[in-house]
Formats: sequence, structure tokens, C-alpha cells
Amino acid sequence: MIEAIEFLWPPFLVAVCLVGIHVYFGIQVLARNVIFVDLALAQIAALGATVAFMLGHPAQSLATYGYSLGFTLGAALLLAFTRHWAKRVPQEALIGVIYVVAAAASILLIDRAPQGAEHLKQILTGNILTSGLGEVAIIVPLYVGVGLVHFLLPSRLMHAGSLFWEFVFYSTFGLVVTSSVALAGVLLVFSFLIIPAIIGVMFASSPSKQLAIGWAAGTLTSAVGLAASFVLDLPTGAAIVCTFGAALALAGAAYPFFRGGRLVTLGIAVRVARWGCAAVIAGSALQLAFAPRGDQPLMDMLETVAPSLRSLYFTEVEAATYRESNEYAERHRLAAEQLIELERRRRTQGEALDDIEVRRISSFMKSYVEMRKGEHFVMAEVRARARERIRWPASLSLVALALLIAPLPWRRLGARLPHRFQPVLRASQRSTVDR
Amino acid sequence: MITTTTDLRSLTEMVGGDLLDVSNLVPANFDAEEYQSKPQDVLRLRNARLVVRVGLDYDLWFDRLLQAAGGRDIQRGGGGYVDASYGVAALEIRGVSLGTGDGHAHGSANPHYWLDPRNAELITANIFAALARIDPGNVKIYEANRQAFLARLDRKITEWETRLAPLKGMTIVAYHNSWPYFARRFRLDFAGFLEIKPGVPPTPSHLAGIIQTMRKRGAHIVVRESHEPDRDVAFVAQRTGASVVVLAATVGGLPAARDYFSLFETNVGALIDAAGPK
Repeated sequence: MIEAIEFLWPPFLVAVCLVGIHVYFGIQVLARNVIFVDLALAQIAALGATVAFMLGHPAQSLATYGYSLGFTLGAALLLAFTRHWAKRVPQEALIGVIYVVAAAASILLIDRAPQGAEHLKQILTGNILTSGLGEVAIIVPLYVGVGLVHFLLPSRLMHAGSLFWEFVFYSTFGLVVTSSVALAGVLLVFSFLIIPAIIGVMFASSPSKQLAIGWAAGTLTSAVGLAASFVLDLPTGAAIVCTFGAALALAGAAYPFFRGGRLVTLGIAVRVARWGCAAVIAGSALQLAFAPRGDQPLMDMLETVAPSLRSLYFTEVEAATYRESNEYAERHRLAAEQLIELERRRRTQGEALDDIEVRRISSFMKSYVEMRKGEHFVMAEVRARARERIRWPASLSLVALALLIAPLPWRRLGARLPHRFQPVLRASQRSTVDR
Repeated sequence: MITTTTDLRSLTEMVGGDLLDVSNLVPANFDAEEYQSKPQDVLRLRNARLVVRVGLDYDLWFDRLLQAAGGRDIQRGGGGYVDASYGVAALEIRGVSLGTGDGHAHGSANPHYWLDPRNAELITANIFAALARIDPGNVKIYEANRQAFLARLDRKITEWETRLAPLKGMTIVAYHNSWPYFARRFRLDFAGFLEIKPGVPPTPSHLAGIIQTMRKRGAHIVVRESHEPDRDVAFVAQRTGASVVVLAATVGGLPAARDYFSLFETNVGALIDAAGPK
């Protein structure tokens, strides 16, 4: 636990700083409807750095930073202009063009200087996990400065105005994005920018409240994402982005409940859920009936969670074969791993293995890999045959289950049927109502 | 003569001497596993009489390029086609080969086999066999070139082994798992890798585990290649007080690594410098 905190608090601090400035810009970006502008600006900055690199400047030098900044300011000017053209063509289309052309131009330049590829990747990917106090010391003064400009000139910068103020908006935004993308990568910066801002805009209408909600949501989600990345052993940036996605889904699900008519909303939610379940079950029934040897996502998922479910439709022989193959496959995997480990150990410990011994180990490893593949084939075949055998009764039961779950208007359907079916229908009706 | 990587180019030149005009497709210091081929490559392959590839799923993109270029002699099984990995004892075989198989399924093993200089004997043997097929008139020259190369390599390997002897068993951490063949030959202990899967950034608990291992075993060298990200490596080095060593995994990976010999000279020198003062 202490180890986790020791490891995660510097990236958390960086995330808080990034959330702080990006939520503000995110609300602005949403209002201006220029959602992907950060990607375009980051790509332009990367292009500038690539040009500097081509001209022989080292990666971290002032000259490289200068080129990067120069390109970003140029793009800011272009964006300020497009605001005025954007009467007939949406500005977002032009932003897309800037992004694509800048990305392609960087690839063309890099092609002439291969050692720049890594440099370009670093500008655009970042890794929040390995960022720390050194970075915080650089970004905090920058963000405070930019924040101050926007705090002092809110009326000029909040709404689309003259060319000059548009330029100021985009160039300050470019400054922020250039530094944050190098730190956290494009995916994460986009999430910081847009998702908390959407949540803020969803639940409040005054800018200050939107900002407060966005900050709270962004900070909390970053903390959850970082923790999840540590506990579940996932790459940090990607884990945080997915957590932000989940947070937005959660906020979206909660949204109707905050907008009056809670009981009505609950009713709709239950109906949607029932239809959804019924559709998934009916789809699985069709898949099982007509392609029993193909993938069965629902069955596979249930069997992964509870392998004992297989005993419902495996015969004893099938169950035994499946179990044995599984054990053998695991044994072969372990044997291959042991050989790899043995070879690795003998590189430094004891007598070195000679080439003939290594060759033998190598051919044993190949055999184990092939044997394991064979066992997996047996497992898949046993399962496919068992499913083929039960496909009709199983898929018919699944269809029946889907019909029971779906919120079908039984009463209305029943009224249209001839009189002699009525008692049967009434019985089924009662059972659905009871549930 | 076309090779996929600079290493194979250097080795082909060692065998061919002045008789061959050899060029490589993947530029030096470029990750050959992620190479995107260019239209010119097809043109160059159309004029090629001999192609040499790494194999072991390392340069899978080469198959499609060969298909696009046509020409029966340089296709798999043709007289001018060399899979340099043929006969090499592969290490760390875990998966099944992804490539179009040709009978000897080698599985997806670790493909960086040219970093064991002893494997150069097999690689040059494969190249020599193909040269003898397509240019039988000059066989004697090729044979003499290869023997001279192997004699020089033999002396050098002994020298490198002596120089690296003090590092035997010393714990080293690398960014990418390029080094098992090198480690086996020179008896080095590469204990962990920052990158779990290519292109996926390390997870926090993986990094924490690496740092713990390094502290426990007193490791003070972290290796990266020049095209790999320095941030993650610097992060680990800073937390453990280790020094970062940039090695070349391919010829041209560092400016000093101009050919197959200087590749090892550079790496051996860099490792000794890093381990020396401590």
C-alpha cells in the first residue's frame, strides 16, 4: 500500500495540474465547438520539433522548443482565421485537415531521419507514470500564467471575438497542450480536456459551477484510474482514459435522474435493460442454433466466470477429456517455461550450456509449444461438439427466456388472438407480472 | 543483393567482399519490426538476385514485399532466398509462428540471434550457400572471404569474452528483450525488461517490481537502444541510482557501430565503461 502511494502520488499531482487547466479549456472548446483542436495543435508542435531535429538541434534544446512554439503560434493564427471563414465550412473540418497534414508531414520528415522517430513518438505519447515533481515545477508556473491571462480577460476570451483575441485564445491553448501532451500523451490529454468538461456542462449551467463539477470529477476519476492501473496491473495512461470513459457513462446514466420525473426515468431504464438482455439472449440463441461451432460470446463469458457451467451440457467423457487436456496444456506450458528459465540461469550460473545442449532445449521448447497447441485444439473440439449436440434444446430455451424477459405487451397481443388461446395467455401473463 | 537489416548487410558484405553490391531495406537505427515499406523497395527487390532476411517473425512485412516484387528466384524456396535464421538454436520459444510456414516451424522465438557473434558462423553459412547457388564461378573467393571473416571473428570473440569477464553475473536491466543471445555468449545476467509487450507502456506494478529487483540485487546498469524511449529508463535509473547505457542492437544503431565487428566493440566498450568505476 505504502509502495503504491509512493509510486503514484507524483503522477497524481501531475494529473491534478493537468485537470486544473484542461477542464477550463475543455468548457471553452465545447462552447466553440472545436473538439479536436488539441490534437491538431499537439501534432503541429510535434512537426515543429521534428523540423528542429532535422536541422540538427538536440531534442531538449531551447532551439527545438522555439521551433515547436513557432509552429504552434502559426497554427493558432491559422485557427483564428478559420473562425472567420467557418461560415460555410465547419471549423472542425479544417482542424481535422491541419491534424492530418501535420501528422503526414512529420512522417515524411522522419523518413529522412530515422533517429527522429523515437523523438516524435515521445512528443506525442508521453507517460504520466514516469512524470514527477520536475515536470510539476515547469508546468505549474506556465499554467498559472495562462490561467491568469484568462482570469483577467474573461469577457474578451470567453466568446468568439476579433481576430486578435481569437489568436490569444488559441496560442495560450497551444502553449498548454504542447507541454501537457509531451507529459501525458494525446489520448490522456484529450480525455482531461473533454470528459470532465462534458460532465460539468451536463450538470450545471453557470461557468463557475461547470468548472467546479469538472474539477471534482476529473480529480476523482484520475485517482480511481491511477489506483486501478496499479491494482489491476494495467498501463497507466490507457487505464486512466478508460476510467474517464466509464465516468462519462456513469454520469450519462445518472443524468436523467437529475432532470425530474425519477419514477418515469426508472421505468424507462428498466424497460431498456429488459429489452437489452432479451436481445443479447435471443442473439446468442440464434448464434448457437445456426453456428454452434463458432464463437459463443455469452456462453464463453459465463463459462469463464463459472467453469462448472460446462458440466450442465458435457457428458462425463467430454468433461474428463476437457479437464485432462487443460491439465496437459498447463503442464506443457510450465515445462517450456522451466526450460527457458533453465537456459536463462545457465547463462550466468554454473557451467555454460554448450551449443548442442541449447539446440536440444530449443527443440524441446518447440515440441512443448506444438503439444500445447494440440491440447488447446482438443479442448475447442470437445466443446464445439458438445454445443452442437445441445444446440436445438438450448437455443429454444434461450428464446423462451428472452421472451419472458422482454417487456412485451402480452395483454394487447392476447386480445387480438382467437378466443380459445386466451386461458393459456392469461397464465403466461400472470407469471410475467408476478416477476 | 538486398538484406532487410543492416546487420545482415554487413555479414553479406563480409562474405561477398568487393564482388557484391549489397543494400539494406530498413535504415540503420530504425525498429525493423515496425518498418513500413516504400514503393522504391519493390523496385529494388525486382532488380535483386539475392535477398537475406532475419526470419523468426522479426521481419514479417518482408513476405508481402516479396509478393509484390515477384521474381521466382527470390521467393521463399528460391535459389536467391536466404532466411538467415536457418539452423540457429532459437532461445525463449513461447508462441507459434505467425508467418507463412515453410516446414520448419521455428515458433515465435526471440529473434535477436545476430547478437551472439558465434551465430554469425551459421548466418554466413546460409548466405554463402545461396551465393554458391547463384554465382558458382566465384565460390572460391566467397569461401576465402568467409574463412578470413570467421578467423578474425574467432580472435575477436575471445578478446570480447576476456574483456567482459568481470561483468559475469552482474545484474542488468534492459528496456526491450533484445539481449538473450548476447547475454548467453558473454555470460551476462539480464534480469528484467521495462517493456512487457512492444508498444505497450510499462504498468506501475511492473515498474515497481523491476525497481525492487534492481535494489535487491544491486543492479546498476540499465540498457536501452538509441531508438527506445529514454524517459522510462531514466525514471528507473534515477530511482535506483543505476547508470543508463545506450547499446546498439543493430549495425548503425550508434554512430560508432559501423559494421558487425564495431557493433560488438561499441557494446562491449560501453558496458565496461558503465561497470568500471563502481
